[in-house]
Amino acid sequence: MSGMTGEALKGHLDLLLLAILADGPAHGYAVIESLKQRSAGHFDLPEGTVYPALHRLESQGLLGSLWSEDSARRRRVYHLTPKGQQVLSSRQAEWKKFSKAINATIGV
Amino acid sequence: MSENRIQSYLHKLEFRLWLRGVADKETLAEIESHLLESLEANMRRGLSAEAAETQTLQSFGSVKVVVSTFETERKEVMQTILVGLAVLAGLFSAYVDSRPTWDDSGILAGGLLLVSGLLTLLGHRKPWLIALAVGIWIPLYNIYLSHDLRVLLVLLFPLVGAYGGWLVRLGIRRAVHPV
Repeated sequence: MSGMTGEALKGHLDLLLLAILADGPAHGYAVIESLKQRSAGHFDLPEGTVYPALHRLESQGLLGSLWSEDSARRRRVYHLTPKGQQVLSSRQAEWKKFSKAINATIGV
Repeated sequence: MSENRIQSYLHKLEFRLWLRGVADKETLAEIESHLLESLEANMRRGLSAEAAETQTLQSFGSVKVVVSTFETERKEVMQTILVGLAVLAGLFSAYVDSRPTWDDSGILAGGLLLVSGLLTLLGHRKPWLIALAVGIWIPLYNIYLSHDLRVLLVLLFPLVGAYGGWLVRLGIRRAVHPV
């Protein structure tokens, strides 16, 4: 696997998860698939390590979750809360500043 | 056959999460749902049942990695408070032991054992850490004074207490939420 490792992703996982859920509610499997697809396979971390992060974001009030019985299988569907939306906007702004500064420094 | 390896993984995961005090039914149901969905998706991609199962479990991560992530993410304030209390109790016991008028090692040893047991019974997940936080101060002070390492044996009391409390808590949890 040539994807980015869990260690490198650790500091950015919250932002990535919030951004994915900003597009609409999704269950854990769909969130992880979206993470892989949007990053063209670069963000390929052990799937089981995403759930603790989702649960933490939920305990911080940034995400909410409901069990859905719509499909053949019970699924826990996560959604972004208003607080999560605020945090996402603020982190996106921080990331823009940060990446701009890094790019300027390394000459990309 | 496919269900069996996944079920076996789930049982291991459940037991390890339970042992660390971070298991709950909803999380396990969520993980089971994920694994079965991933298995189906891998089979739709044309993998054999066995290969799909292997791919599913590999992508999810080893039990060790997943449990460790859950444990790290659920570092609760309570865990830190309990270690803080253990350090305070340990420092107090070292102070009492250092008094020239104090001459009852039995009471002190019993105190170390009881305090360590109480702190793990209250919910600390690492008995060895509680035992060290409570028990290391008396040996440190005495080694500083006498350079005699045999005093490290004092650590046995908080170790027995901490693991005793931890085992009692596991027993209580097992009675309330059987694996």
